[in-house]
Amino acid sequence: MLATYNQLFHNNKKWVQEKLMQDPEYFIKLGKGQSPDYLWIGCSDSRVPANEITGTQPGEMFVHRNIANMVVHSDMNLLSVLSYAVEVLKVKHIIVCGHYGCGGVIAAMGNKQYGLIDNWLRHIKDVYRLHQNELDAITDPAERAKRFVEVNVIEQVADLCKTTIVQNAWKKKQPLAVHGWVYDINDGLLKDLKVSVLNNEELHAVYQFETQ
Amino acid sequence: MEKSYLRLIEGNKKWAQEKLKQDPNFFKGLVMGQNPEYLWIGCSDSRVPANEITNTKSGEIFVHRNIANVVVHTDMNLLSVLYYAVEVLRVKHVIVCGHYGCGGVIASMSNKDNGFVNNWLRNIKEVYQKHSKELLAITDVKARENRLVELNVIEQVRNLGKTRIVQQAWKRGELQVHGWVYGFEDGLIKDLEVMMDEISDLEPIFRYEL
Repeated sequence: MLATYNQLFHNNKKWVQEKLMQDPEYFIKLGKGQSPDYLWIGCSDSRVPANEITGTQPGEMFVHRNIANMVVHSDMNLLSVLSYAVEVLKVKHIIVCGHYGCGGVIAAMGNKQYGLIDNWLRHIKDVYRLHQNELDAITDPAERAKRFVEVNVIEQVADLCKTTIVQNAWKKKQPLAVHGWVYDINDGLLKDLKVSVLNNEELHAVYQFETQ
Repeated sequence: MEKSYLRLIEGNKKWAQEKLKQDPNFFKGLVMGQNPEYLWIGCSDSRVPANEITNTKSGEIFVHRNIANVVVHTDMNLLSVLYYAVEVLRVKHVIVCGHYGCGGVIASMSNKDNGFVNNWLRNIKEVYQKHSKELLAITDVKARENRLVELNVIEQVRNLGKTRIVQQAWKRGELQVHGWVYGFEDGLIKDLEVMMDEISDLEPIFRYEL
């Protein structure tokens, strides 16, 4: 056990050598700052690395990853990331990316107790309740789990749009789109759920903030 | 709508094709489940992608990234990630990885009002206060920033050790918590050599009787 993490240092050195071979100025350029177009809100699952699966390079994507790609409106961790990405970096796209076979979503479908994490999974249970009619009508549990992953992403997209951070960017005419995608571990492909939002007009009136 | 996001979908198709060319069973192996050895707690900064800089593949590292790789003991987001990684996946190593030039750390050193993010950066101001003697003795601003980046990582390693989740894993003899820093100048990761793997590394007040 002691030595396994040394492999990562070895890998890191190899990666640096490769990058420098392609471009001797590579790290000097990176050191100058970041100007990413995208904020990625994805799952912590080790099989869903944001940059690899989108073919993007260091510097292109600001990343937050948590259990089951959740956007909780009182979560200071996510809100701080969102505020920095939208207000300081002025990203143009926010992508909520879920994935089929998500352990968090599957756990939230059941009634088993897991401990501390149950508090987090409760937010996903609330998504189930919102879409109960549709989900209960799907008899195959695997198909139901897949649809649950999708509606969870859709609700997180809506939760982003309900924040003052996103709505104020829209009010200022800052170009910002919020997208919902799902990654399929079966074939490695991303699926656009086509639920992109560009303004707050579709939101229920109670969530629409007035200009400050 | 600005269409630059379509590039990501295109990049994804290319990536999936390449993976299948290298190994037709690549995705079949992943579908079986994940069994990562590492939990990575790093910065959201776009220049510090966990897998690239450690040259690891899909399935190897469970990842949480937030502003300035901070571990806050009441943050249910981080705690849920930690719980799942340690209790369910049984990772062997938790790595807190900071990076020099971290915007969050630099902002915390100043008195600038950053609005909403102030609440989060307060955690780093407390690291500054705790180590103010050492930091104030460093006259070069850049060198002081760099040291605060390191001290911030060290305090987050300790914050992990103060959780019940980590202490229970220590009792099982199963977990090491590491503190690293990544530098843009050379792309290299530096081990701060502050690894913790037992409860006696902590001040007595933080030790739980488990």
